[in-house]
Amino acid sequence: MSTVTAPSPATAGRRSRLVSAELLKVTSTRMWLGLLAALCVYVGIGIVATVFAPEQPGVTVPRLTTAAGMRNLFAQGGGGYLFAIVIGTLGMTQELRHQTLTSTLLAEPRRNRVMVAKMAAYAVVGAVYGAVGVLFGYALALGLLPFKDHGDLPATAMWQIAGGAVIGCALFAVLGVAIGALIRNQIAAVLGVLVWVVLVEALLVALLPTVGKWLPGGALNGILQATGFNDAQYLPVWAGALVLIGYTVVFGVLAAATTQRRDVT
Amino acid sequence: MASPSPGPLVSDAPAGGPHGARIEVTGLTKTFGSVLAVDDLSFAVEPGRVTGFLGPNGAGKTTTLRCLLGLVAPTSGGATIGGRHYHDLHEPMRVVGSALEATGFHPGRSATAHLRVLARAGGLDEARAPEVLELVGLAESASRKVGGFSLGMRQRLQLASALLGDPGVLVLDEPANGLDPEGIAWLRAFLRYLAGQGRTVLVSSHVLSEVEQTVDDVVIIAQGRLVRACPLTELTEHGQRLVVRTPQAAELVSALASVAPQARVTAVEDGSLLVEDVEAPVVGRAALDARVELHELRPATSDLEQVFLSLTGGATS
Repeated sequence: MSTVTAPSPATAGRRSRLVSAELLKVTSTRMWLGLLAALCVYVGIGIVATVFAPEQPGVTVPRLTTAAGMRNLFAQGGGGYLFAIVIGTLGMTQELRHQTLTSTLLAEPRRNRVMVAKMAAYAVVGAVYGAVGVLFGYALALGLLPFKDHGDLPATAMWQIAGGAVIGCALFAVLGVAIGALIRNQIAAVLGVLVWVVLVEALLVALLPTVGKWLPGGALNGILQATGFNDAQYLPVWAGALVLIGYTVVFGVLAAATTQRRDVT
Repeated sequence: MASPSPGPLVSDAPAGGPHGARIEVTGLTKTFGSVLAVDDLSFAVEPGRVTGFLGPNGAGKTTTLRCLLGLVAPTSGGATIGGRHYHDLHEPMRVVGSALEATGFHPGRSATAHLRVLARAGGLDEARAPEVLELVGLAESASRKVGGFSLGMRQRLQLASALLGDPGVLVLDEPANGLDPEGIAWLRAFLRYLAGQGRTVLVSSHVLSEVEQTVDDVVIIAQGRLVRACPLTELTEHGQRLVVRTPQAAELVSALASVAPQARVTAVEDGSLLVEDVEAPVVGRAALDARVELHELRPATSDLEQVFLSLTGGATS
């Protein structure tokens, strides 16, 4: 559709104002704050459970005295990806549910630009979610560690995991926008995302890591340098990042393409 | 309640100035699956006039407007504003302001925030938001969440978003729905005022009486097809029109056919007949000669709603 030329300053300005309008949509209702509060609770539970997890017979979980165990603990800071994908899905489907898509497309009829702006805006929202989850999770973990025997994790590894969590959450929020545009029905989309992330994918990643590591959540485990049950290994950071970016690009392009011609009634 | 002469808040473009653009619909056809919603529809809307886009519910008005605004892709044909398709307009909100039915608001967003989002996306000054809220009489509800708005308040907010870009063309879909009588009077004055500045005003309605005091031109459609496009005055001066009510419609039609073959008879939904191009005494004499019982025989010229119903009803049956 579009020719590959450098955007003129006017076009660049138009794109940034569309992203800014999408961000104003997010911040002008309270939903994003509620989800952010829920994210902190969720990450907090993950941290506490990892620190105080009792030993289970038959299942080997990396212990806190090992580097792998410490990486797993800080990887819990990236647990906010669930809320990142949910807010992306909600952000797209509420335009359809409340029929605000009409005025959105009257303000900017070039639909590809609208979709790209929305994905860019939710990448920002997802990154903020990721950063808050990391800050909250790290603070809680560092506060709880003195109560347990634990190993050491170099600061560089902590920074790498934090960066991975922020980028991962940004990508998951974009993925959420794309899935919302493809499924369209808000309840079906959010339920589908929840069932997939919390149940189906989580089980595959935990119990069948050879398959699970190629799924978006498993790829995130690779980015976060986590280790699974019985020392199951996920993808290296770079490969996990490529897989997750791949999913985001494929779904994003599909979403933009189907939105391009669809009648808005 | 807003003042009916909102001088400083919309720009004072001179009549016939650069503002208004011509809307042109050409051979527009749209099918949804097997349903033919709009059928080879062509008409034009001129600047400086208020044009009523009329037809019963389900006639295809909203689909036509959505095609005009690039929201629905026509099956064939198309519609332009000032010669350009909506999606080719550089800054569409500065050219066309629209308020469509089934356009929603996020219930948790305030009226001001809703308008600021649109202004930002459309490249408009966000300071316009409080101005247009003032203009439509919603200044006091500016920071309230739209979820608590009445239908009339939502209509006013729609109108406010249409006015954000101070556009030369206004496309309003059933804007009087949900307005109280005072609001309708205000809307009429406001639309006249906007057209008086040279803007193009296209306003749809399924009730002619709602707009007949306001519009200069009418475009009437039924079942997706054009029924009539003309100045409002021509609608009432269309030949000799009579309303006839009789229990023996078939006998009257055959009696008329022999004495006045030029007469056209249309059955109207309420059971009466609309008889055109023939004088009342001729009909009365024909009925008497044929011993046809008449319950009503009167000129239909002053009853716009009847004309409207007969035009649209005729295409339905």
